[in-house]
Amino acid sequence: MTVDAAKPARRFSATTESGLALAIVVVLAVTALVDSNHSYWFRPQACATDIVRQTVMLGIFALGSAVVIISGGIDLSTGSMIAFSGTICATVMMVVDPAAMNTGQVGTATIVVAIAAALAVGLLVGSLHAWLITVVGLPAFVATLATLVGLRSLARAIVENVTAEFLGGRSTQIQIFDREFRYLGRTVWISAMLFILLAVLIGILMRYTVVGRHLYALGGNEQAARLSGIHTDRLKWLAYCLSAACASLAGVLAIGEQSVADPQTLGRGYELNAIAAAVVGGCSLQGGVGTVPGTVLGCLFLRAVIDGIAKIIKTGADVHEGWIVGIVVVMAVAFSQWRASGQRGKQFFTGALGSLAIVTLGLIAGTLVTLMADWRAGSATAAVTWVVLICAKIWENRVAVGQRAQGASGEATT
Amino acid sequence: MTAEPLISIRHVTKRFAGVTALSDVSLDVHPGELHAICGENGAGKSTLMKILSGVITDFEGTYQLRGREVWFRGTRDAEQAGVSIIHQELNLVEELSAAGNVFLGRELRSGWGLIDQRAMDRAASELFAQLECRISPRQSVRSLRIGDQQLIEIAKALSLRAEILIMDEPTSALTESEVERLFRVIDRLRQQGVTILYISHKMDEVFRLADRVTVLRDGRWVDTLRREETNPRRITHLMVGREIEETDVSSPRQPGDEILRVEHLSLPWRGHARGWRLQDINFSLRRGEILGIAGLMGAGRTELLESLFGASAERPLGKIFLEGREVNFRHPAEAKAAGLALVTEDRKRLGLFSHLSVGENITLCTLAECCAGGLIRHRLESAQARGIVERLNVKTAGVDASIMSLSGGNQQKAVIGRWLLTRPAVLLLDDPTRGIDVGAKAELYRLMDQLCREGLGIIVTSSELPELLTLCDRILVLCEGRQTGHFLRSEATEQRIMEAATARAVAG
Repeated sequence: MTVDAAKPARRFSATTESGLALAIVVVLAVTALVDSNHSYWFRPQACATDIVRQTVMLGIFALGSAVVIISGGIDLSTGSMIAFSGTICATVMMVVDPAAMNTGQVGTATIVVAIAAALAVGLLVGSLHAWLITVVGLPAFVATLATLVGLRSLARAIVENVTAEFLGGRSTQIQIFDREFRYLGRTVWISAMLFILLAVLIGILMRYTVVGRHLYALGGNEQAARLSGIHTDRLKWLAYCLSAACASLAGVLAIGEQSVADPQTLGRGYELNAIAAAVVGGCSLQGGVGTVPGTVLGCLFLRAVIDGIAKIIKTGADVHEGWIVGIVVVMAVAFSQWRASGQRGKQFFTGALGSLAIVTLGLIAGTLVTLMADWRAGSATAAVTWVVLICAKIWENRVAVGQRAQGASGEATT
Repeated sequence: MTAEPLISIRHVTKRFAGVTALSDVSLDVHPGELHAICGENGAGKSTLMKILSGVITDFEGTYQLRGREVWFRGTRDAEQAGVSIIHQELNLVEELSAAGNVFLGRELRSGWGLIDQRAMDRAASELFAQLECRISPRQSVRSLRIGDQQLIEIAKALSLRAEILIMDEPTSALTESEVERLFRVIDRLRQQGVTILYISHKMDEVFRLADRVTVLRDGRWVDTLRREETNPRRITHLMVGREIEETDVSSPRQPGDEILRVEHLSLPWRGHARGWRLQDINFSLRRGEILGIAGLMGAGRTELLESLFGASAERPLGKIFLEGREVNFRHPAEAKAAGLALVTEDRKRLGLFSHLSVGENITLCTLAECCAGGLIRHRLESAQARGIVERLNVKTAGVDASIMSLSGGNQQKAVIGRWLLTRPAVLLLDDPTRGIDVGAKAELYRLMDQLCREGLGIIVTSSELPELLTLCDRILVLCEGRQTGHFLRSEATEQRIMEAATARAVAG
């Protein structure tokens, strides 16, 4: 048996992180050039603040999701956890001091109690996840899917009851007038510092502590980890608590920023953004792979792309966020898998399924362009996409046949 | 030979990530012959068979069947071309019935396109009758013995009208009577004109069955010989490539005090007819002693080690004493802290962390010793890993190399190294030489001997009896979860151990 030279110790130029950093620069440059308002040139500070705010909001809970994903699990409840913790925070302020809540003069002590309560609830939910997964034996997907659905509806019920009790009329949201609290959420540098602190702490945890290494081991091979004497159940508890606590923190900051706790919309769909950021940042959903710096860059990349497209097509980013995230995730993961497997001659459009995919991809491209420009450009795009992909299919096929012929003749001559 | 070969492969090479499993192998198989493929573990036998049967589809070289070049896209293509394989690890869906497995993927259908269960049952019964086994087609595969499960695979191949049947070490899990039955089945298949490729490293089987023997070594073709022209000694010599160097572990060791004692150990097996995975096991182990555990596949060797280590799914009954104190481990972490170490059988699934480096794999259990102020010092960690790499002579490009770039033997040394760092008093090794080449085996034997002389108590299981006979001071034999034999090295022979290992199976 011959053993190839082992792969070199992770050189920076060959890592996901370096690729992402480059991609972010490219995205920012393209946006700066293509955007007809030239926002990046004329209002750099406002634009930067905007991207940082969005990245931080995503990053705080994406870090937690990344830890769970690295440990081989999945946390789908993040978005609802954000809504729930925000609701709990507002509710506690309301319950402790209803009068002050209405006048906007909530005391610091009350705010501290409310934030502590929100974080504590996060820890409880995280522990509940760990219990459902390790003791009851549910798959992580099911356990966190249940809380994804359950927590949001619970939050809505709480808000309706609390408002009926303390404001005299049922409402679906709790307004927050307190300036101190709103300052906390609206001041970018505070949440940015919190995010950086959190990233550094979790980064150290994952890279420089025994617990972190054990989390990687757990994600890579749970049975082997257990048989190596690692308390896998405790590690899972830690991972899910960290994830829920990060989401709780994000929830508190979110209601501060929005000045309202509205569990119907707060954090809706964020769980998938968090998972997407982690995956784009190099985490593998199979577990055992991923880094904190990668996740941070993944968040930044995702937000830069969303911001760039919103700037270029001049509409609200939130409408287009979904499909952008979808496409970015598919391309990032497909690319990293293709690179890792080292398969050069991979065929993407073989057989009937490949042909059907060509039809679908053309339609998607056409629809997107129609929405951004008009139907003529859309049809043209669809047609061009089809022609290009059909050519790709024919080319792939010829290469594959050629390789076989070459292989056969090469052997015949030897 | 004048006849046109049925199978003809030329210059076949197959590389896996970093490892060349097959290198430039060419081979002809003639119609109707029984062609044995011999070689040590890791010689490339299984890889070659996977290529022939369409399990592996990307390889270099050419593959001709009946004079025509073929490119299988999967096992289904191969089956249609008349090539079927019976894997060593059987490939059955345990939840399905016997008939359901025979016709899996090719279910017989009635006029309405619905599954025709009765036709399948009838056809399966006929096949089973041909193979002289009394399996009901409705019986679920889970409830069958391994020997019967294997016959279901053969029945499946027959139902496909396979002209070429590849059998990958078919006797490794069978009792003697089942082996006899298998040989009768093979004779009958040959009368029907089926060509058989038979993989084995057991010389008595090869010389009883084969017309021709091909020897592979380290992924290369060594020789193809007619049975009449050769003898077991020569084949063994070709397989190993040199005279098997007598690993000198024979000089008597001096066992010390008792370190581990097991009394009436039983392991319940819920929902199974037998009720027990292990029943009433008693033994003791002394410092500086190697105790071997022999038994067929499914005899309970792995379960025994796991219950000692606190890793079994159910809690074992009975008493375990470690250094005189009764212990009752609920988690491997407790066993580890008490001075036990377990090197698992299935290295890939239960031992290795494929995403971690060689060094990280080695230091996983003792990482806390490389910390200062709660943080890992990567310099200390690599020093710890390098210590093991040097001490156990792990061949690696460095401690930062990927663990998957190592050969099986070196991966195993890394896993053993991981546990040696925990400074255990008792080392449990579950089939440690499985899938490891000869040279690395000899190294492992010497290592075990040396550790033993340093005062470690070692329990080792193996599926290869000669290995246990060279290594162990005493050998415990298990059969279907019961202890059916206990021999000192001086009284143990392969014959006696096999008798004990198949005692109940023959009686039943």
